[in-house]
Amino acid sequence: MDFPSDLRYLPTHEWARVEGDRVTVGISDFAQDALGDIVYVELPALGRSVAANEVFCEVESTKSVSDIYAPVAGEIIEVNTELSDSPQKINDAPYGDGWICVIRAADLGEAQALLDADGYRKVVEEA
Amino acid sequence: MAASWRIVDDLDVVQTGAERMATDLALLADVARGGRPALRFYTWDPPALSLGRFQPADDVDEDACRARGVDVVRRPTGGRALLHGGDLTYAVAVPRPKGEAGSVAALYNTLAEGLITGLRTLGVCAQVAHHAGETSAACFASLRGSDLRVNDRKLVGSAQVHKEHAVLQHGSVLRTRLAFDECDLLRFDEEARRREARARLRASTITLEELGVDVDVSALAMALTRGFATSLDLDLQWSERSRAFVAARQARQ
Repeated sequence: MDFPSDLRYLPTHEWARVEGDRVTVGISDFAQDALGDIVYVELPALGRSVAANEVFCEVESTKSVSDIYAPVAGEIIEVNTELSDSPQKINDAPYGDGWICVIRAADLGEAQALLDADGYRKVVEEA
Repeated sequence: MAASWRIVDDLDVVQTGAERMATDLALLADVARGGRPALRFYTWDPPALSLGRFQPADDVDEDACRARGVDVVRRPTGGRALLHGGDLTYAVAVPRPKGEAGSVAALYNTLAEGLITGLRTLGVCAQVAHHAGETSAACFASLRGSDLRVNDRKLVGSAQVHKEHAVLQHGSVLRTRLAFDECDLLRFDEEARRREARARLRASTITLEELGVDVDVSALAMALTRGFATSLDLDLQWSERSRAFVAARQARQ
């Protein structure tokens, strides 16, 4: 199981790559493995405002629908539209081509308060 | 220590399809807020065609549904179209276990044990279907790990929705066939495709009736309840309303 150290995480298994006020968001390797083969991604609308911990996206895998939560508040400024035709990119490369969207963070303090890789690993391993 | 689940017996409760889905979601929301896990049973009268959460609405032939008095409802769960009416539907709302046990596949397998154990008491030997079938607009036309099969034919189809830290899984146990099926209610480009889909649906599914199991919905629900209780070591709590329904049904039998 991969836990890149340059990312921040939510306990609900989303990751965030913070670059200035741009926060790229996806789901973790653990999450994609737990979901199984992803067959559909309901992508968020470009320009939508989200609150931290708000459901902004849903994915379907093996007749199962799961909510995806926003790690920070802000405006969605980019969406990975390739997931519409190729949702399996999330399974193939959860930290790469499987990214979901970019949020322009309203408060970078929220990003700093997310779990680091060690903290997230403990969440996954404490079960 | 045995987990405490509540039983919600809605076999005698009249609801529209949308109300049935709203009730399942209310159970999920309650469990997400810390409420006790729930096991609910219900049937559908009039029949209803349920669509998966993201299934295109234009898969459905609305005129055909209207002509047959079929309600159309959107499920909160994944998967494809499913015709209800000849089935018993179960719904389980539980907190999502942490770690690997909370994965989609692990939850299907855990709850499958309850269904399999319950069906075994009726003389039915069901197994988890581990191979994916051809994708079809009709749910029961393909076999997946979320389903239970008997002799490679689907008897139980299930689907999930995960919200916050809780999971709703509901599913259909095929008891008998109606006079029409999903293929009469979905749109096809050509009649030949409809015939092919129907042949595939018939060949890939089986009902309790076809297995020679003569059981009413009440006894089936009770068998599945005992199956879950045995396989998951549950302490079952019957709601007062459910107690009244069970007593009324027993009095009628």
